Amino acid sequence: MDLIVQRRIKQVIKGDQNAFGEIVELYKDKVYQICFRMLWDRYEAEDAAQETFLKAFLNIHTYNQDKKFSTWLYRIATNLCIDKIRKKKPDYHLDAEIAGTDGLNMYAHLASGDQLPEDEVESLEVQASIHEAILLLPDKYRAVIVLKYIEELPLQEIADILELPLGTVKTRVHRGREALRKHLRHL
Amino acid sequence: MTSCSKQIVHSMHEYLDGDIQEEKKQELKFHIETCADCKQHFTELEKTIALVQSASHIEAPAGFTSRVMALLPREGKKVGIER
Repeated sequence: MDLIVQRRIKQVIKGDQNAFGEIVELYKDKVYQICFRMLWDRYEAEDAAQETFLKAFLNIHTYNQDKKFSTWLYRIATNLCIDKIRKKKPDYHLDAEIAGTDGLNMYAHLASGDQLPEDEVESLEVQASIHEAILLLPDKYRAVIVLKYIEELPLQEIADILELPLGTVKTRVHRGREALRKHLRHL
Repeated sequence: MTSCSKQIVHSMHEYLDGDIQEEKKQELKFHIETCADCKQHFTELEKTIALVQSASHIEAPAGFTSRVMALLPREGKKVGIER
């Protein structure tokens, strides 16, 4: 995949926009997922993911082709999301509750049709609790947890994406895990 | 948590990162077998990870790529942010 990506990037630099479309296709789910888990709102996540690709396109000349493209791309995405989280108003926690209800609405919507089997209802509730626990993490912990456990990236790659020393990433993963444990242990 | 040293919890995290020295690993194993509180702490951490990893994977919404492509500056024009 890396070879294809490198070839497409060279085409983009030469001015071939269609080649960029292929890059978007390849990475859209990963980037959207990072944004969604960071922001927990599908509209904001789509905005952030679109912005990530636009920024990548506009700054493609600054990408160092000796390095992994995904690292560079995920860095743009996480930085954008962290910015967005920090710019949110202090009523953020209210938003978080509304965002939490969003999950419940989805659940209510689903449940209004055919009756869901008990274990599916339970799994939706568990999913909502997991999302809430991730959302309650401060942004710096949230970023490492999303990259480590949702995107399943190695710690060194997370350090490269966030441009942090490996030791700092480890500390944040440890603290993030402890914070999550406090919210999820009773599930 | 009881009075168990922070070092044990630290070891748990090192273990979970797959980044622990053999000696510390044995120490951790032994401790967990003998200390109910630490055993519970460790079990909860493992469960937490399993739960977070079970968060369902989601995909970008339909039409995402074409919406991104529509945002790009027109072809042919030179892009502004160039060195």
